[in-house]
Amino acid sequence: MRRLSTIAEMTGREILRRRAVLFLLLLFPLPFYLLQRAEHPGQAIRFLFVGLSWAISGSAMFVAHSGRAIDPRLRLSGYRAHHLWMGRMSALWLIGTVVTLPYLALVVVDQPRVRHGALAVAMVLCVAVAAPFGLLLGAVVSREFEGTLLLLVTVGIQMVADPATTTARLMPFWSGREIGTYAIDHTDTGFLVRGVAHGLACALLFSLALAVVSALRLRRRRHLRTLPAN
Amino acid sequence: MIDDPDWLDVLAGELRLRGLPEDQVTRVLGETRAHLWDAGEDPARAFGTPSAYAAAVHESLGTPPIPARRKVVRAEAPRLQATGIGKRHGRHRLLHDVDLTVHAGEVAAIVGANGCGKSTFLRICAGVERAHAGRVVVRGSIGYCPQGGGTSDFLTPDEHFVLVGAGRGLGRDRSRGAGRALAEHLWWPRPAPIAAARLSGGTRQKLEVILTALGDPDVLLLDEPYQGFDRDSYMYFWDRVREWANEGRAIVVVTHLLDRLERADTVVDLTPSPHAAPGVRGRHHPKGTQPR
Amino acid sequence: MNAERHSQWLRGVLDLCVLSLLADGESYGYRLAQALEAAGLGTIRGGTLYPVLLRLERDGLISSRWGVGDAGPARKYYRSTPLGEGELRAAADEWSVFAARVGTMLEGVRQ
Repeated sequence: MRRLSTIAEMTGREILRRRAVLFLLLLFPLPFYLLQRAEHPGQAIRFLFVGLSWAISGSAMFVAHSGRAIDPRLRLSGYRAHHLWMGRMSALWLIGTVVTLPYLALVVVDQPRVRHGALAVAMVLCVAVAAPFGLLLGAVVSREFEGTLLLLVTVGIQMVADPATTTARLMPFWSGREIGTYAIDHTDTGFLVRGVAHGLACALLFSLALAVVSALRLRRRRHLRTLPAN
Repeated sequence: MIDDPDWLDVLAGELRLRGLPEDQVTRVLGETRAHLWDAGEDPARAFGTPSAYAAAVHESLGTPPIPARRKVVRAEAPRLQATGIGKRHGRHRLLHDVDLTVHAGEVAAIVGANGCGKSTFLRICAGVERAHAGRVVVRGSIGYCPQGGGTSDFLTPDEHFVLVGAGRGLGRDRSRGAGRALAEHLWWPRPAPIAAARLSGGTRQKLEVILTALGDPDVLLLDEPYQGFDRDSYMYFWDRVREWANEGRAIVVVTHLLDRLERADTVVDLTPSPHAAPGVRGRHHPKGTQPR
Repeated sequence: MNAERHSQWLRGVLDLCVLSLLADGESYGYRLAQALEAAGLGTIRGGTLYPVLLRLERDGLISSRWGVGDAGPARKYYRSTPLGEGELRAAADEWSVFAARVGTMLEGVRQ
C-alpha cells in the first residue's frame, strides 16, 4: 500500500510542477465550451466533455512518458508493475476529478435547464476513461510527438463523427456525448444507461490493457534468476 | 579558510555513518570548529579528509574500525554469475559468450571500446534487457544505475529518496536520512529542494548513484556512474565503491578509465579481439593480467 | 631529522606529553598543540591531536567541560583526572628506564 500511495503522491507532485501540463489541464477545456456556448449550448457541453477527456488523457500520456526512463529503476527497487500504473492512475483520477469540478460548476450556473446529475456522471466517466487511455497511449507509443498526434486524431474523430454511428461508438470518449444528449435534450434513460455502460467498459478495457502492457514492458527477462542472498 | 561549512558537514555525515551517537557528533564538530577558528587553518590541512579524520575519531572512541579489506570468500556462492551471455542486434553479434562472476566483496570492471556492448551487458545482468543466449543468476537484491535517465526531471532529490526508499520498504524518514547520508559521502552535503532537471550534470549523476545504493542492495550495477564528477567527487566515489565492497556488496562498474582498474578485482574487456573469429568477444582478465 | 621516525616516536609518547601538560592545569586542544610545538615537538596537526584526547578521555585519564572564552566558539577544556595523574607518574618512571636503556645502547655510536 505504501508503494502505491508513494507512486500516486510523486505523480501528483510531478504534475503540479509541470506548468505546461497544469495549463493544459486547467484551461484547455475552456475554449471547447466557450466557442459554441452562445449558438449551440448543448453542443458546447458535449465539446467540453471531449476537451476534458483530451486534457486529462494528454496529461496522463506525459506522466507515462516521464515514467518510462525511471520505471526499470523503480521495478528493480522493489516496485511491481501494478504499483506503478495503479499509483499513477489513482493520482490522475484524483487530479482529473478536481479539475472537472469548476467546469461542472460553470455549466450548472450557465445552463440551469440541463440534467446536472447526469452531467456530473458524464464528467466522472470522462476522467475514469481518459486517465487509463492516456497512460496506455504513453506506454505503447514511445515518442511524445507521435502520441500527441494519435490523441489528436482520436479526439478529432470523436468530435466529427455522428454519435449514432458505429465509428463514434468505437471511440473512447463516446460516453460523454451520449450522456450529454440525455442531460441536454432530456431524452429517455436508454441514453444514460448506454453512456454509463460504454464509459465503464472503456475504463475497464483500457485499465486491463494498461496492466498487460506494463507487466510485459517491466517483466523480468527469462535469462535472469534471482535467489535469496546467502 | 577559517570555517569551511562543507568540510564540517561531510565530517558530520562520516561520523554518523560510522554509528557515532548524535551527542558525540555534536561534540566532535564543536571541538573541530573551535580548533579551526583558533588556528585559522584549512580544515583539510589540519585534519585531512573528513573520512580519514572520522575514522581516527571512531577508532579513538573505542568502536572497531571498518576493516580495510573484507576477505572475499570464494567458496561461497557468487552474488552475480553470468554465463555464456550472447546478444544480437539483427544479424550483428554484439555479445558472444561473455562470462562474469562476482562474489560478495568484489568489484568487477567492464571495459571496452565505444559500442562494444558494455551497457547492454549490464542491462542484461540487471534483467531489463533480453539476452539471446546464456543466463544470469543473482543472489540478493539488485541496484542498477543506468547511464542517465534513472531520475525524474520534476522531483527533488529528497522526493527521489522517498520514492526509491518506499520501493525498498523504507519509511519516509529513513529513506531521506539514508539518501542524505549517501549524498554527504559523495561530496554533496545538502541536496537543495529543487527539481532534478535543474541540478548540474555531475550532481544529477550523484543522485543516480545514491538511488542505486539506497536501501543497501546486495548487487550494485553501475553504468559509467561518475560522468560529470569533479576530481574530489570522483575520488570519493571510488572510496565508496571500495567501502560498499567491504560491507559485502558485489559491484560491477562499466568504465572506460583504465587508470582506475587497480581498484577492480576482475576486469572484463568486451573489445573485439583482432585475432579471434569475427564477433567473438568477452575476454576475461583475472586481476594482474589486464592490459595496461 | 627523519620525519617519519620522528612521527613514530611521537606517536608512542604524545598521550604522555598531553597528560603532563594537563597535569599543570586545564587547557584546550589548540593551546595544547601550541604548547607541544613550543616544547620543540614540532607541529601537531589537529587530526593527530584530537583522537589522542578522545582516547584519553574514553579511558578516564582526562575529563572535559565546555567553556566559553572571551572570543570565538565554545571550547572543550580538558583536565587530568586522579587516574590520569597516577598513569602519568607510572609511565614517567617507565619512560625514564626505557629512555636510559636506549640511550646506553646508542651512547657508543655518538661522536
